[in-house]
Amino acid sequence: MIEALRDRFGEAILSAEQVGREARVALAAQTLTEAAAFAKERGFTYPADITAWDAEDELRVVYRLVNLDSGEHLVLTVSVPRSGARLPSLVSIFGGANWPEREIYDLFGVRFEGHPDLRRILLTDDWEGHPLLKGGSS
Amino acid sequence: MTLSSTPTERVTLNMGPQHPSTHGVLRLELELEGEVVVSCRPVIGYLHRGIEKMAESRTYPQILPYTDRLDYLSSSSNNMAYVQAVEKLLGLEVPERAKYLRVISLELNRIASHLVFLATYGNDVGATTVFLYGMREREMIMDLFTMWAGARLTQSWIRIGGVGADIPDGFVEMAKEFCRILPARLDEYDRLLTGNRIFRVRTEGVGILPPDLGVNYGASGPTLRGSGVAFDVRRAEPYEVYQDLDFEVITQPTCDCMGRYQVRMQEMRQSVRIIEQCLQRLPEGEVRAKVPRVIRPPKGEAYGRVESPRGDFGCYVVSDGSPRPARVRFRAPSFYHLSVLPLMMRGWKVGDAIAILGSIDIVLGEVDR
Repeated sequence: MIEALRDRFGEAILSAEQVGREARVALAAQTLTEAAAFAKERGFTYPADITAWDAEDELRVVYRLVNLDSGEHLVLTVSVPRSGARLPSLVSIFGGANWPEREIYDLFGVRFEGHPDLRRILLTDDWEGHPLLKGGSS
Repeated sequence: MTLSSTPTERVTLNMGPQHPSTHGVLRLELELEGEVVVSCRPVIGYLHRGIEKMAESRTYPQILPYTDRLDYLSSSSNNMAYVQAVEKLLGLEVPERAKYLRVISLELNRIASHLVFLATYGNDVGATTVFLYGMREREMIMDLFTMWAGARLTQSWIRIGGVGADIPDGFVEMAKEFCRILPARLDEYDRLLTGNRIFRVRTEGVGILPPDLGVNYGASGPTLRGSGVAFDVRRAEPYEVYQDLDFEVITQPTCDCMGRYQVRMQEMRQSVRIIEQCLQRLPEGEVRAKVPRVIRPPKGEAYGRVESPRGDFGCYVVSDGSPRPARVRFRAPSFYHLSVLPLMMRGWKVGDAIAILGSIDIVLGEVDR
């Protein structure tokens, strides 16, 4: 899968590493939608998990897609700034991206463009800040 | 004036957050046209405790008891997913006996959880007797858990490197006795509920989840297998000793409430098979590997993944090399199942909404975290 992604997206694949059945790929944000659609066509139809973490200097948004036939995992990671970040929503490709994207917006403040219903999900609507950012919620 | 010409208007009905069929604190905003559900909007977060945030300021062993409180009907699967991720980071090899004990624990928990499903689902659709029966059998498992963990639900018995303590004397005999009793009881439930005319009308053909839609929404476990997709983490990515055990992955082709119910009913029999094999093969030896006092996994990330009673339960752990993780994330199957629920509800009546919600067997502890 790594080769296929490199062939198709070239420079936009920032780094890639195969760990067991898991292909870990860091890619540029602007190729995210295309890469996800590309993966889905190749059998990665199951959005196992979409989450994020605060690496202190940047946020990493992590998409774990699984091929249920081959058992392979494709882990796409996109780095975005810690505040004011925007990413394209994958809801039109994976229905299962809907709630996790709301959660990442809620807890980390990343805005997903094209999301049909981007509201807070775990916290109350009037909550201020995004608590999973480190060093206080700003 | 005829009934069909009677003017109707849309009504919004809040089901929950306190409603018996929501099995916890969940609110469904139902938009109704007469009795028909036009749209459904699940509102969650009532049970949010910030467990993932708290985990960032705890040491690795300290996090374990928090995981009990995610899917509280199956604490051992939560323990297992977390512990699996940490053990991957540490490159830790677990003693064989501990692996077998873990599987026994996981499968007992699966049966206990499915029995609660049976009990509450019967209750949801008006079969109150089944509620008492399901709880009765579950109590035998609770006794076993109390024997080894001192707790009924919040066990924290699967630990980093193995299990908390070896099983006490008499445990194996009691577990065997349970495995002997349960199948006959399941036959009884089948006679009591599965073939029951009213139960069948309430569940057959109701709440359809097409397989492709389920996969696209990240559905898993009995919810997806009830739509004919044979995806089971125990088979797809075997952990502990599942690769050596003989069991079937149960599916049903019907995609309806009855299909999901049937999968769970038959899975309990498979779990009994698994437990019997483990009890028979249980090797002697240590139950815990040597684990450093202060756990400091090398920088990196790992993903633990187990088949919980509800489905694909994942745990993503990122280590920055310190004794506290940079990120702990729990992938809860119920979260995904609730997100696809609105599509399963549309066009059904309010009464069916109860049957459909019950059939995806959510636990709000893992949804809200």
